Amino acid sequence: MVASNNSNDDRDLVGRARRGDREAFTQLIVQYQVPLYNMALRMVGRPDDAADIAQEAFLRAWEKIRTLREAPFKSWLFQIAANLCYDHFRRGRRYGVMPNEETSNVVGLGIATPDPQERAEANERTRLVRDSIAALDHDMRMAIVLRDVNGMAYDEIAAVLGVPLGTVKSRIARARAQVQEHLQRHPDFFPTREDAHAE
Amino acid sequence: MPNEPRTPAEPTLEELSAFLDNELDSATQARVADHVAGCDECRARLDGLRETAHAIRALPMETPPRRFTIPEQRRQGWRWAPAGWIGSAALALLLIAVGIQNLHLPAGPTATTGSSSTNSGGLAFAPATRSEKGALAPLSAPSPSTQQFDAQSAGAAANAGTVLDPSNSSRRLVLDTDRTSYATTGRMLVTVQLIDSPSTSLQSADQGLTLTLVRNGQGVALRPVGVESVNGTPIFGGWYDLASFPLSAPRAGDYRLEATWLIPDGSGRVLQTSVPVRIAG
Repeated sequence: MVASNNSNDDRDLVGRARRGDREAFTQLIVQYQVPLYNMALRMVGRPDDAADIAQEAFLRAWEKIRTLREAPFKSWLFQIAANLCYDHFRRGRRYGVMPNEETSNVVGLGIATPDPQERAEANERTRLVRDSIAALDHDMRMAIVLRDVNGMAYDEIAAVLGVPLGTVKSRIARARAQVQEHLQRHPDFFPTREDAHAE
Repeated sequence: MPNEPRTPAEPTLEELSAFLDNELDSATQARVADHVAGCDECRARLDGLRETAHAIRALPMETPPRRFTIPEQRRQGWRWAPAGWIGSAALALLLIAVGIQNLHLPAGPTATTGSSSTNSGGLAFAPATRSEKGALAPLSAPSPSTQQFDAQSAGAAANAGTVLDPSNSSRRLVLDTDRTSYATTGRMLVTVQLIDSPSTSLQSADQGLTLTLVRNGQGVALRPVGVESVNGTPIFGGWYDLASFPLSAPRAGDYRLEATWLIPDGSGRVLQTSVPVRIAG
Protein backbone atom coordinates (compact mmCIF):
# COMPACT_ATOMS: atom_id res chain seq x y z
CA MET A 1 0.00 0.00 0.00
CA VAL A 2 1.26 3.44 -0.81
CA ALA A 3 2.29 5.61 2.06
CA SER A 4 0.09 8.41 3.24
CA ASN A 5 0.28 11.43 0.97
CA ASN A 6 -0.33 13.89 3.74
CA SER A 7 2.60 13.25 5.99
CA ASN A 8 3.42 15.42 8.92
CA ASP A 9 6.45 16.59 6.97
CA ASP A 10 4.26 17.83 4.12
CA ARG A 11 1.89 19.53 6.55
CA ASP A 12 4.74 21.32 8.24
CA LEU A 13 6.28 22.43 4.95
CA VAL A 14 2.92 23.45 3.52
CA GLY A 15 2.14 25.43 6.66
CA ARG A 16 5.44 27.29 6.37
CA ALA A 17 5.00 27.82 2.63
CA ARG A 18 1.53 29.28 3.22
CA ARG A 19 3.23 31.87 5.41
CA GLY A 20 5.55 32.73 2.53
CA ASP A 21 8.52 30.56 3.45
CA ARG A 22 10.25 29.99 0.10
CA GLU A 23 12.71 27.49 1.52
CA ALA A 24 9.87 25.30 2.72
CA PHE A 25 8.30 25.39 -0.73
CA THR A 26 11.69 24.67 -2.32
CA GLN A 27 11.86 21.56 -0.19
CA LEU A 28 8.45 20.54 -1.49
CA ILE A 29 9.78 21.05 -5.02
CA VAL A 30 12.78 18.85 -4.27
CA GLN A 31 10.49 16.19 -2.85
CA TYR A 32 8.07 16.12 -5.76
CA GLN A 33 10.02 17.29 -8.80
CA VAL A 34 11.02 13.84 -10.03
CA PRO A 35 7.62 12.12 -9.68
CA LEU A 36 5.77 15.16 -11.02
CA TYR A 37 8.09 15.54 -13.99
CA ASN A 38 7.86 11.82 -14.77
CA MET A 39 4.07 11.91 -14.59
CA ALA A 40 4.02 14.76 -17.09
CA LEU A 41 6.66 13.04 -19.24
CA ARG A 42 4.67 9.82 -19.52
CA MET A 43 1.59 11.86 -20.34
CA VAL A 44 2.94 14.23 -22.99
CA GLY A 45 6.07 12.45 -24.22
CA ARG A 46 8.46 15.32 -24.83
CA PRO A 47 10.89 16.18 -22.02
CA ASP A 48 10.66 19.93 -22.71
CA ASP A 49 6.87 19.91 -22.60
CA ALA A 50 6.93 17.83 -19.43
CA ALA A 51 9.39 20.22 -17.79
CA ASP A 52 7.20 23.20 -18.77
CA ILE A 53 4.19 21.51 -17.21
CA ALA A 54 6.03 20.64 -14.01
CA GLN A 55 7.44 24.16 -13.73
CA GLU A 56 4.04 25.74 -14.27
CA ALA A 57 2.46 23.38 -11.75
CA PHE A 58 4.98 24.39 -9.10
CA LEU A 59 4.45 28.08 -9.91
CA ARG A 60 0.67 27.81 -9.65
CA ALA A 61 0.97 25.81 -6.44
CA TRP A 62 3.22 28.50 -4.98
CA GLU A 63 0.76 31.22 -5.99
CA LYS A 64 -2.28 29.41 -4.65
CA ILE A 65 -0.89 27.62 -1.64
CA ARG A 66 -2.67 30.02 0.69
CA THR A 67 -5.94 28.56 -0.57
CA LEU A 68 -4.93 24.99 0.32
CA ARG A 69 -6.76 23.93 3.46
CA GLU A 70 -7.36 20.28 4.25
CA ALA A 71 -6.50 18.64 0.94
CA PRO A 72 -3.20 16.73 0.85
CA PHE A 73 -0.52 18.76 -0.88
CA LYS A 74 0.56 15.87 -3.09
CA SER A 75 -2.91 15.23 -4.53
CA TRP A 76 -3.46 18.95 -4.99
CA LEU A 77 -0.13 19.44 -6.78
CA PHE A 78 -0.70 16.48 -9.06
CA GLN A 79 -4.21 17.72 -9.78
CA ILE A 80 -2.74 21.00 -11.00
CA ALA A 81 -0.26 19.15 -13.19
CA ALA A 82 -2.93 16.76 -14.49
CA ASN A 83 -5.08 19.72 -15.53
CA LEU A 84 -2.08 21.24 -17.29
CA CYS A 85 -1.57 17.98 -19.17
CA TYR A 86 -5.21 18.05 -20.29
CA ASP A 87 -4.78 21.72 -21.29
CA HIS A 88 -1.75 20.66 -23.31
CA PHE A 89 -3.86 18.25 -25.33
CA ARG A 90 -6.80 20.68 -25.59
CA ARG A 91 -4.44 23.13 -27.25
CA GLY A 92 -3.96 20.53 -29.93
CA ARG A 93 -0.56 19.37 -28.80
CA ARG A 94 -0.03 15.71 -29.44
CA TYR A 95 2.02 13.15 -27.64
CA GLY A 96 5.59 14.04 -28.48
CA VAL A 97 8.32 11.71 -29.48
CA MET A 98 10.32 10.69 -26.50
CA PRO A 99 14.01 10.52 -27.29
CA ASN A 100 15.61 7.11 -27.10
CA GLU A 101 17.70 6.38 -24.05
CA GLU A 102 20.88 6.76 -26.10
CA THR A 103 19.95 10.23 -27.29
CA SER A 104 18.45 11.67 -24.11
CA ASN A 105 20.63 13.74 -21.81
CA VAL A 106 21.11 10.74 -19.55
CA VAL A 107 24.17 9.39 -21.29
CA GLY A 108 24.83 6.61 -18.87
CA LEU A 109 22.77 4.60 -16.44
CA GLY A 110 24.65 2.65 -13.81
CA ILE A 111 21.86 0.16 -13.54
CA ALA A 112 22.11 -0.62 -17.22
CA THR A 113 23.79 -3.81 -18.20
CA PRO A 114 27.23 -3.41 -19.76
CA ASP A 115 26.39 -5.98 -22.44
CA PRO A 116 25.48 -3.95 -25.56
CA GLN A 117 23.10 -6.64 -26.81
CA GLU A 118 21.20 -6.80 -23.53
CA ARG A 119 21.22 -3.03 -23.27
CA ALA A 120 19.76 -2.69 -26.75
CA GLU A 121 17.03 -5.17 -25.84
CA ALA A 122 16.29 -3.30 -22.60
CA ASN A 123 16.02 -0.06 -24.57
CA GLU A 124 13.64 -1.68 -27.02
CA ARG A 125 11.47 -3.02 -24.21
CA THR A 126 11.37 0.49 -22.71
CA ARG A 127 10.37 1.96 -26.06
CA LEU A 128 7.60 -0.57 -26.54
CA VAL A 129 6.16 0.10 -23.09
CA ARG A 130 6.28 3.86 -23.69
CA ASP A 131 4.54 3.41 -27.03
CA SER A 132 1.85 1.24 -25.50
CA ILE A 133 1.13 3.91 -22.87
CA ALA A 134 1.11 6.61 -25.53
CA ALA A 135 -1.52 4.65 -27.46
CA LEU A 136 -4.01 4.88 -24.59
CA ASP A 137 -6.64 7.60 -24.47
CA HIS A 138 -5.84 10.47 -22.12
CA ASP A 139 -8.04 9.33 -19.25
CA MET A 140 -6.73 5.79 -19.17
CA ARG A 141 -3.17 7.00 -19.65
CA MET A 142 -3.45 9.39 -16.74
CA ALA A 143 -4.88 6.72 -14.45
CA ILE A 144 -2.24 4.12 -15.22
CA VAL A 145 0.60 6.65 -15.03
CA LEU A 146 -0.53 7.82 -11.61
CA ARG A 147 -0.81 4.21 -10.47
CA ASP A 148 2.13 2.40 -12.06
CA VAL A 149 4.60 5.23 -12.62
CA ASN A 150 3.82 7.31 -9.53
CA GLY A 151 2.65 4.50 -7.26
CA MET A 152 -0.44 6.32 -6.05
CA ALA A 153 -3.25 4.59 -4.19
CA TYR A 154 -6.65 4.51 -5.86
CA ASP A 155 -8.16 7.04 -3.46
CA GLU A 156 -5.30 9.44 -4.18
CA ILE A 157 -5.87 9.04 -7.92
CA ALA A 158 -9.59 9.66 -7.44
CA ALA A 159 -8.75 12.86 -5.56
CA VAL A 160 -6.31 14.00 -8.26
CA LEU A 161 -8.74 13.34 -11.09
CA GLY A 162 -11.94 14.26 -9.28
CA VAL A 163 -13.65 11.01 -10.30
CA PRO A 164 -15.25 8.19 -8.29
CA LEU A 165 -13.15 5.29 -7.05
CA GLY A 166 -14.96 2.90 -9.39
CA THR A 167 -13.94 4.99 -12.37
CA VAL A 168 -10.32 4.85 -11.28
CA LYS A 169 -10.52 1.09 -10.90
CA SER A 170 -12.08 0.70 -14.33
CA ARG A 171 -9.63 3.00 -16.11
CA ILE A 172 -6.61 1.29 -14.59
CA ALA A 173 -7.91 -2.18 -15.45
CA ARG A 174 -8.78 -1.29 -19.03
CA ALA A 175 -5.47 0.52 -19.48
CA ARG A 176 -3.52 -2.48 -18.26
CA ALA A 177 -5.46 -4.78 -20.55
CA GLN A 178 -4.75 -2.56 -23.56
CA VAL A 179 -1.08 -2.22 -22.71
CA GLN A 180 -0.86 -5.98 -22.27
CA GLU A 181 -2.46 -6.53 -25.65
CA HIS A 182 -0.02 -4.09 -27.22
CA LEU A 183 3.00 -5.72 -25.62
CA GLN A 184 1.91 -9.22 -26.58
CA ARG A 185 2.33 -8.25 -30.20
CA HIS A 186 6.05 -8.34 -29.45
CA PRO A 187 6.64 -11.82 -28.04
CA ASP A 188 10.37 -11.54 -28.60
CA PHE A 189 10.49 -8.93 -25.89
CA PHE A 190 7.41 -9.81 -23.85
CA PRO A 191 6.88 -13.57 -24.07
CA THR A 192 3.68 -14.86 -22.59
CA ARG A 193 3.72 -17.91 -20.35
CA GLU A 194 2.38 -19.94 -23.27
CA ASP A 195 5.32 -18.76 -25.37
CA ALA A 196 7.72 -19.72 -22.64
CA HIS A 197 6.18 -23.18 -22.30
CA ALA A 198 6.27 -23.69 -26.06
CA GLU A 199 10.01 -23.17 -26.20
CA MET B 1 -25.23 -18.62 -28.47
CA PRO B 2 -25.69 -20.56 -25.28
CA ASN B 3 -25.54 -18.50 -22.21
CA GLU B 4 -22.90 -20.35 -20.25
CA PRO B 5 -23.33 -19.89 -16.55
CA ARG B 6 -20.26 -18.30 -15.03
CA THR B 7 -19.44 -19.04 -11.50
CA PRO B 8 -20.57 -16.06 -9.45
CA ALA B 9 -17.19 -15.90 -7.84
CA GLU B 10 -15.35 -15.35 -11.11
CA PRO B 11 -13.59 -11.99 -10.82
CA THR B 12 -14.03 -9.25 -13.37
CA LEU B 13 -11.12 -7.55 -15.10
CA GLU B 14 -11.48 -4.61 -12.70
CA GLU B 15 -11.38 -6.92 -9.71
CA LEU B 16 -8.29 -8.77 -10.94
CA SER B 17 -6.49 -5.51 -11.59
CA ALA B 18 -7.48 -4.03 -8.23
CA PHE B 19 -6.55 -7.34 -6.56
CA LEU B 20 -2.99 -6.83 -7.77
CA ASP B 21 -2.95 -3.44 -6.10
CA ASN B 22 -4.53 -4.69 -2.88
CA GLU B 23 -7.30 -2.18 -3.48
CA LEU B 24 -10.30 -4.43 -2.88
CA ASP B 25 -12.22 -4.68 0.34
CA SER B 26 -11.08 -7.63 2.39
CA ALA B 27 -14.04 -9.86 1.52
CA THR B 28 -13.61 -9.33 -2.22
CA GLN B 29 -9.84 -9.69 -1.94
CA ALA B 30 -10.32 -13.07 -0.28
CA ARG B 31 -12.93 -14.15 -2.83
CA VAL B 32 -10.65 -13.30 -5.75
CA ALA B 33 -7.72 -15.05 -4.09
CA ASP B 34 -9.80 -18.18 -3.56
CA HIS B 35 -11.02 -18.19 -7.11
CA VAL B 36 -7.63 -17.58 -8.67
CA ALA B 37 -6.09 -20.37 -6.63
CA GLY B 38 -8.38 -22.87 -8.33
CA CYS B 39 -8.77 -21.38 -11.80
CA ASP B 40 -5.95 -21.64 -14.32
CA GLU B 41 -7.60 -19.21 -16.72
CA CYS B 42 -7.99 -16.44 -14.16
CA ARG B 43 -4.52 -17.08 -12.82
CA ALA B 44 -3.14 -16.61 -16.34
CA ARG B 45 -5.13 -13.37 -16.71
CA LEU B 46 -3.83 -12.17 -13.37
CA ASP B 47 -0.25 -13.06 -14.31
CA GLY B 48 -0.62 -11.12 -17.54
CA LEU B 49 -1.86 -8.03 -15.73
CA ARG B 50 0.89 -8.36 -13.15
CA GLU B 51 3.61 -8.61 -15.79
CA THR B 52 2.14 -5.61 -17.58
CA ALA B 53 2.16 -3.55 -14.41
CA HIS B 54 5.75 -4.63 -13.74
CA ALA B 55 6.78 -3.61 -17.25
CA ILE B 56 5.36 -0.13 -16.72
CA ARG B 57 6.89 0.18 -13.27
CA ALA B 58 10.25 -0.78 -14.76
CA LEU B 59 10.30 2.38 -16.89
CA PRO B 60 13.26 4.44 -15.73
CA MET B 61 12.52 7.51 -13.63
CA GLU B 62 13.94 10.31 -15.75
CA THR B 63 15.83 13.24 -14.33
CA PRO B 64 14.20 16.60 -15.11
CA PRO B 65 16.21 18.45 -17.76
CA ARG B 66 16.22 21.66 -15.71
CA ARG B 67 15.67 22.89 -12.23
CA PHE B 68 12.28 23.99 -11.03
CA THR B 69 12.18 27.18 -9.03
CA ILE B 70 9.76 29.79 -7.84
CA PRO B 71 9.96 33.55 -8.25
CA GLU B 72 11.12 35.85 -5.49
CA GLN B 73 7.56 37.08 -5.04
CA ARG B 74 4.25 35.45 -5.73
CA ARG B 75 2.38 36.52 -8.82
CA GLN B 76 -0.62 38.40 -7.54
CA GLY B 77 -3.91 36.55 -7.83
CA TRP B 78 -7.10 38.23 -9.04
CA ARG B 79 -8.65 37.72 -5.61
CA TRP B 80 -6.62 40.77 -4.56
CA ALA B 81 -7.62 42.68 -7.63
CA PRO B 82 -8.23 46.08 -6.01
CA ALA B 83 -4.80 46.10 -4.41
CA GLY B 84 -3.35 44.76 -7.64
CA TRP B 85 -4.96 47.55 -9.63
CA ILE B 86 -3.60 50.15 -7.27
CA GLY B 87 -0.17 48.57 -7.49
CA SER B 88 -0.33 48.32 -11.26
CA ALA B 89 -1.43 51.93 -11.58
CA ALA B 90 1.40 53.05 -9.34
CA LEU B 91 3.87 50.98 -11.33
CA ALA B 92 2.54 52.40 -14.59
CA LEU B 93 3.01 55.92 -13.33
CA LEU B 94 6.49 55.03 -12.18
CA LEU B 95 7.34 53.56 -15.57
CA ILE B 96 6.14 56.69 -17.30
CA ALA B 97 8.06 58.87 -14.89
CA VAL B 98 11.44 57.23 -15.08
CA GLY B 99 11.34 55.62 -18.51
CA ILE B 100 11.20 51.90 -19.16
CA GLN B 101 14.64 51.76 -20.65
CA ASN B 102 16.25 52.77 -17.41
CA LEU B 103 14.52 50.14 -15.31
CA HIS B 104 16.18 46.86 -14.47
CA LEU B 105 13.24 44.57 -14.03
CA PRO B 106 14.04 41.29 -12.36
CA ALA B 107 14.55 38.45 -14.81
CA GLY B 108 12.12 35.60 -14.66
CA PRO B 109 8.44 35.08 -14.21
CA THR B 110 7.76 37.86 -11.72
CA ALA B 111 7.85 40.24 -14.65
CA THR B 112 5.35 38.22 -16.64
CA THR B 113 1.76 37.26 -16.37
CA GLY B 114 2.45 33.66 -16.76
CA SER B 115 2.40 31.73 -20.00
CA SER B 116 4.24 28.53 -19.49
CA SER B 117 6.75 29.26 -22.20
CA THR B 118 7.71 32.57 -20.63
CA ASN B 119 7.93 31.04 -17.21
CA SER B 120 10.09 28.21 -18.32
CA GLY B 121 12.18 30.59 -20.36
CA GLY B 122 12.75 32.72 -17.31
CA LEU B 123 13.72 29.70 -15.36
CA ALA B 124 15.95 28.21 -17.95
CA PHE B 125 18.29 25.42 -17.15
CA ALA B 126 21.35 26.82 -15.42
CA PRO B 127 23.84 24.01 -15.12
CA ALA B 128 26.14 23.74 -12.21
CA THR B 129 25.75 27.17 -10.70
CA ARG B 130 25.15 27.72 -7.03
CA SER B 131 21.92 29.56 -6.58
CA GLU B 132 19.87 30.11 -3.48
CA LYS B 133 16.78 30.20 -5.64
CA GLY B 134 17.61 27.10 -7.58
CA ALA B 135 19.36 25.05 -4.96
CA LEU B 136 18.40 21.45 -5.46
CA ALA B 137 18.95 20.48 -1.88
CA PRO B 138 17.55 23.02 0.58
CA LEU B 139 19.17 23.76 3.89
CA SER B 140 16.95 21.26 5.63
CA ALA B 141 17.81 18.35 3.31
CA PRO B 142 19.42 15.48 5.19
CA SER B 143 23.11 16.19 5.58
CA PRO B 144 25.84 13.71 6.41
CA SER B 145 28.38 13.64 9.16
CA THR B 146 31.84 13.59 7.62
CA GLN B 147 33.86 13.07 10.77
CA GLN B 148 36.34 10.21 10.42
CA PHE B 149 35.36 9.83 6.77
CA ASP B 150 38.09 7.90 5.03
CA ALA B 151 38.05 8.99 1.42
CA GLN B 152 41.02 6.74 0.65
CA SER B 153 38.84 3.68 1.12
CA ALA B 154 36.06 5.09 -1.03
CA GLY B 155 34.76 2.62 -3.56
CA ALA B 156 35.64 -0.43 -1.52
CA ALA B 157 32.07 -1.11 -0.47
CA ALA B 158 30.17 -4.08 -1.85
CA ASN B 159 27.00 -2.12 -2.64
CA ALA B 160 28.33 -0.08 -5.50
CA GLY B 161 27.12 1.30 -8.78
CA THR B 162 29.38 2.60 -11.52
CA VAL B 163 28.66 4.23 -14.83
CA LEU B 164 31.10 5.18 -17.56
CA ASP B 165 30.88 8.27 -19.71
CA PRO B 166 30.46 6.84 -23.23
CA SER B 167 32.31 9.78 -24.71
CA ASN B 168 35.19 9.72 -22.24
CA SER B 169 36.32 6.28 -21.17
CA SER B 170 38.29 7.60 -18.21
CA ARG B 171 35.32 9.45 -16.70
CA ARG B 172 33.18 7.54 -14.23
CA LEU B 173 30.55 8.16 -11.61
CA VAL B 174 30.89 5.73 -8.72
CA LEU B 175 28.32 5.51 -5.94
CA ASP B 176 28.54 3.15 -3.01
CA THR B 177 27.15 2.54 0.43
CA ASP B 178 28.70 0.52 3.25
CA ARG B 179 25.78 -1.89 3.37
CA THR B 180 22.60 -2.74 1.50
CA SER B 181 20.31 -2.93 4.54
CA TYR B 182 19.89 -0.57 7.46
CA ALA B 183 17.73 -0.19 10.53
CA THR B 184 15.31 2.74 10.44
CA THR B 185 17.55 4.47 12.97
CA GLY B 186 20.78 3.36 11.30
CA ARG B 187 23.56 5.38 9.70
CA MET B 188 24.30 4.95 6.03
CA LEU B 189 27.80 5.60 4.77
CA VAL B 190 27.63 7.00 1.25
CA THR B 191 30.54 7.71 -1.05
CA VAL B 192 30.39 9.33 -4.46
CA GLN B 193 33.45 9.59 -6.68
CA LEU B 194 33.45 11.89 -9.68
CA ILE B 195 36.36 10.39 -11.54
CA ASP B 196 37.90 12.62 -14.21
CA SER B 197 35.51 15.44 -13.46
CA PRO B 198 36.19 18.61 -15.48
CA SER B 199 35.95 20.49 -12.18
CA THR B 200 37.87 20.06 -8.96
CA SER B 201 35.23 21.82 -6.89
CA LEU B 202 33.93 20.09 -3.78
CA GLN B 203 30.64 21.99 -3.98
CA SER B 204 27.87 19.68 -5.16
CA ALA B 205 26.16 22.55 -7.03
CA ASP B 206 29.38 23.29 -8.95
CA GLN B 207 29.69 19.61 -9.84
CA GLY B 208 26.01 19.25 -10.74
CA LEU B 209 25.72 16.35 -8.32
CA THR B 210 22.45 15.31 -6.69
CA LEU B 211 21.65 12.38 -4.43
CA THR B 212 18.14 11.10 -3.99
CA LEU B 213 16.66 8.23 -2.02
CA VAL B 214 13.68 7.02 -4.05
CA ARG B 215 10.75 4.71 -3.42
CA ASN B 216 7.55 4.42 -5.43
CA GLY B 217 8.53 7.39 -7.52
CA GLN B 218 8.87 9.65 -4.49
CA GLY B 219 12.27 10.91 -3.52
CA VAL B 220 14.08 12.53 -0.66
CA ALA B 221 16.99 14.69 -1.71
CA LEU B 222 20.16 14.22 0.31
CA ARG B 223 22.75 16.92 0.63
CA PRO B 224 26.00 15.71 -0.96
CA VAL B 225 28.96 17.09 0.96
CA GLY B 226 32.37 17.30 -0.66
CA VAL B 227 35.00 15.68 1.50
CA GLU B 228 38.28 15.84 -0.32
CA SER B 229 40.04 15.39 -3.63
CA VAL B 230 42.03 12.21 -4.06
CA ASN B 231 44.42 12.43 -7.00
CA GLY B 232 42.20 15.09 -8.51
CA THR B 233 39.00 13.08 -8.04
CA PRO B 234 36.36 14.95 -6.04
CA ILE B 235 34.92 12.70 -3.33
CA PHE B 236 31.56 13.38 -1.72
CA GLY B 237 30.14 11.46 1.15
CA GLY B 238 29.63 10.86 4.83
CA TRP B 239 27.31 9.16 7.27
CA TYR B 240 23.63 9.96 6.86
CA ASP B 241 21.40 9.46 9.88
CA LEU B 242 18.38 7.65 8.44
CA ALA B 243 16.17 8.65 11.37
CA SER B 244 16.45 12.27 10.21
CA PHE B 245 15.12 11.55 6.71
CA PRO B 246 11.62 12.88 5.96
CA LEU B 247 10.42 9.49 4.70
CA SER B 248 6.76 8.64 4.32
CA ALA B 249 5.32 5.95 6.53
CA PRO B 250 5.97 3.09 6.57
CA ARG B 251 9.64 4.03 6.62
CA ALA B 252 10.76 0.45 6.15
CA GLY B 253 10.98 -0.77 2.60
CA ASP B 254 13.10 -1.10 -0.50
CA TYR B 255 14.56 2.11 -1.86
CA ARG B 256 17.09 3.11 -4.47
CA LEU B 257 19.80 5.63 -3.77
CA GLU B 258 20.36 7.55 -6.99
CA ALA B 259 23.31 9.73 -7.86
CA THR B 260 22.88 12.07 -10.80
CA TRP B 261 25.84 13.96 -12.21
CA LEU B 262 25.28 16.76 -14.65
CA ILE B 263 28.80 16.80 -16.05
CA PRO B 264 30.05 20.35 -15.49
CA ASP B 265 31.43 20.87 -18.97
CA GLY B 266 28.48 22.76 -20.41
CA SER B 267 27.36 19.81 -22.53
CA GLY B 268 24.21 19.14 -20.52
CA ARG B 269 25.06 15.45 -20.43
CA VAL B 270 24.18 13.41 -17.38
CA LEU B 271 25.59 10.28 -15.78
CA GLN B 272 23.30 8.47 -13.42
CA THR B 273 23.74 5.42 -11.24
CA SER B 274 21.93 3.88 -8.34
CA VAL B 275 22.23 1.21 -5.68
CA PRO B 276 19.51 -0.65 -3.78
CA VAL B 277 18.99 0.30 -0.16
CA ARG B 278 16.71 -1.59 2.19
CA ILE B 279 15.46 0.02 5.36
CA ALA B 280 14.33 -2.70 7.69
CA GLY B 281 11.60 -2.15 10.24
